[in-house]
Amino acid sequence: MYTIRNNMLTKIRSTANIGLTTIPIDVEVDVATAGFPGFTIVGLASKAVEEARERVKTAIINSGFDFPPKKITVNLAPADIPKDGAAYDLPIAVGILIASEQLPENTVFDLKKQFFYGELSLDGTLRPTKGVLLLALFAKKITGSQIFVPEFSANEASVVNIPVYPVLTLHRIIQHFTKTKPLNPLTYISVKDELDMEPPEFDLSEIAGQEQAKRAIIIAASGGHNMLMFGPPGTGKTMLARALPGILPPLNEQEALEVTRIYSISGLLPPGASLITKRPFRAPHHGVSTVGLIGGGSNPMPGEVSLAHLGVLFLDEMPEFPRSALESLRQPMEDGDVEIVRVAGHVKYPASFTLLAAINPCPCGYLGHPKRACTCSERQIAKYRHRISGPILDRIDLHVSVSVIAVEKLSLSLKNNPNAITSKQAKAMVVTARDIQTKRFAGTNIYTNSQMKNKDVKKFCMLTPESENILKLASDTYNFSARSYIRMIKVARTIADLDHKKDILPNHIAESLQYKQMV
Amino acid sequence: MSMKSQDIPQLSDLPNPPKQLFFIGKPTTVLFKNCVAIVGSRQITEYGKRVIDMLVPKLVFEKKTIVSGFMRGVDQYTHRVCVENGGKTIAVLGWGIDTILTPEDKKLAEAIVSHDGILLSEWQTQRPTLWTFPVRNRIVAALSKDVYIIEAGLKSGSLITANWAVKLKRKLYAVPGPLTSRVSEGTNHLIASGQAIMWLGDMMQTEQSNDPLIQLISNEPLTIDQLARKLNKPIAEIGAAVSLLQLSGQIFERGGVYYKK
Repeated sequence: MYTIRNNMLTKIRSTANIGLTTIPIDVEVDVATAGFPGFTIVGLASKAVEEARERVKTAIINSGFDFPPKKITVNLAPADIPKDGAAYDLPIAVGILIASEQLPENTVFDLKKQFFYGELSLDGTLRPTKGVLLLALFAKKITGSQIFVPEFSANEASVVNIPVYPVLTLHRIIQHFTKTKPLNPLTYISVKDELDMEPPEFDLSEIAGQEQAKRAIIIAASGGHNMLMFGPPGTGKTMLARALPGILPPLNEQEALEVTRIYSISGLLPPGASLITKRPFRAPHHGVSTVGLIGGGSNPMPGEVSLAHLGVLFLDEMPEFPRSALESLRQPMEDGDVEIVRVAGHVKYPASFTLLAAINPCPCGYLGHPKRACTCSERQIAKYRHRISGPILDRIDLHVSVSVIAVEKLSLSLKNNPNAITSKQAKAMVVTARDIQTKRFAGTNIYTNSQMKNKDVKKFCMLTPESENILKLASDTYNFSARSYIRMIKVARTIADLDHKKDILPNHIAESLQYKQMV
Repeated sequence: MSMKSQDIPQLSDLPNPPKQLFFIGKPTTVLFKNCVAIVGSRQITEYGKRVIDMLVPKLVFEKKTIVSGFMRGVDQYTHRVCVENGGKTIAVLGWGIDTILTPEDKKLAEAIVSHDGILLSEWQTQRPTLWTFPVRNRIVAALSKDVYIIEAGLKSGSLITANWAVKLKRKLYAVPGPLTSRVSEGTNHLIASGQAIMWLGDMMQTEQSNDPLIQLISNEPLTIDQLARKLNKPIAEIGAAVSLLQLSGQIFERGGVYYKK
């Protein structure tokens, strides 16, 4: 501890986020008595950082302090990393107040251990700022560190066990350091406490009929398989999709932090929210651009695939998406992350999601509908289906047709119906099946059946001779490609796991044939 | 282990049935009930292998026992594919049962036995000589309801089996082959002369069944969800059953709806 008096140069600690990597930044503020009055910011500052000058100046004056009419130089070091965003407002303001020697004698800082981060408003209050969780996670690596962040964004840092000071105004932070009115650090919330079971948005039991589609959703959730639903509009495809996150196993500690980090950097956490405990469900509209889907921008931001990390990415009316956007999904689907290369450097975001796609049988949607006539021409239909390329279809394990249901035949009664299932029951099945997979794949970097490569399939998927017989016959009858052959085995493996069987039995492989590719 | 040939009724069709039979493995009456013979040349071609890969899984699926002669080439390949598909197979040896097998043959023999199949011979100590093979062929033909000739030269042992099949009024199938292949000359001849039915790969025998699924579908075409509702059974079970019925060619699907064939 030392008192910063009679010191013209101060160094304040803050951080920059490049992708999900946090880099420490020293905000050096020099208030020179000699020289022409002025205010310069150097160190690859973007427009948003440049404009900090006006915000900081006004905020300091409106908080009741003096803005020194001297030559002020701010350096954001290291100077070769591009800085973006308004988070440097607070460290710059604090630096100027210290360097201009206007704070009372008793003001005590510990600048080596204290991090400042946040955007200032003209009246001196702090505005919600993105990336607070990443700052907190970084600061945790330095023993004894404290962070000072905007009150509205502070909650996301409450799951990190370090002193987090929520700051409402610039004036309040100075009161804290002069000990006139100390701030209270946030109470630490254990991630585990936050992970209570969230009720699902849509319960499977609310969906009438569609027994096979519901079963397919459970298989998809258990084995992490991508799935395609094929059927006319109004048959419940969207409802089924929305039910999927609710039957996925709850996020664990590590996963919840991973998801929250992505949302923190995107600024998509609602003000006051702390941790994301629900699995994400993203349903981008088919007008989405490639950049919107996989991420990008001059300072690369996560796209929909990363926002759906560890959750569900739902593409309704898949053929309507621009082909280039769909093709860009191939790499993240394969690798579980996405790499964006821009002038500013290259950034890797995690993107391990379950893809759920819905397609209509034809552009108008009514091909094969029992009551309505389809108005599409042969050519239109062929063109529509060809918009999804083979390589994408190859990465979708489950194909299920969602049929039109006659309203009068629907019954939602749970009694004596062997196919009635609630999301809670389904979730329990999924969790057990996932546990079996975790045990089987212990020591590998595979978590679910869908991630198996060909050699893993040979190693982990024991087919009984009778099962093999059925599969060979089917492969002959339906002309399976080598890839679809492997896909069938993977799906059968998940079905066997749901049945708690070690080997893949004939009924498992036979059921998996129900989900073979149709288009 | 030995057994009288009277225990296997179809052998009595022969003018000279074997007096006694010796086995390796456990012979059961069920094993002899639904036999199909597949025989052919010792010089198997890639084409022959592919035909066997198509034919054997189908027959195994229909729960047939596959009979062959345990010779190199078509015979052994048939036994092997049958075992790989979990099927039961009978190897009729052209030599005495006590003859010591080469390590390679022994491996296959063990696989056959471990899948509830058997090796069979009418002799105990007879050494393989020129006359033993044609004599053995009459048993192969007699045991089976259908006889398939995959590949055979013009003057081959397989044609002797074919002759026996005709004599014993067994259904004889021959696989057509290229005119340029010597091992297809015999089979093409069988077809051309009208002795054998040409096997084109799509003859799936179906049997009338009392399956409630089929009965429902023959009344009206249904979706799988409707089937599950009508039978009040778990969708997983219905899905598996429907797949199998589809594979065996009893029902087919158009746009999510199942129809009876």
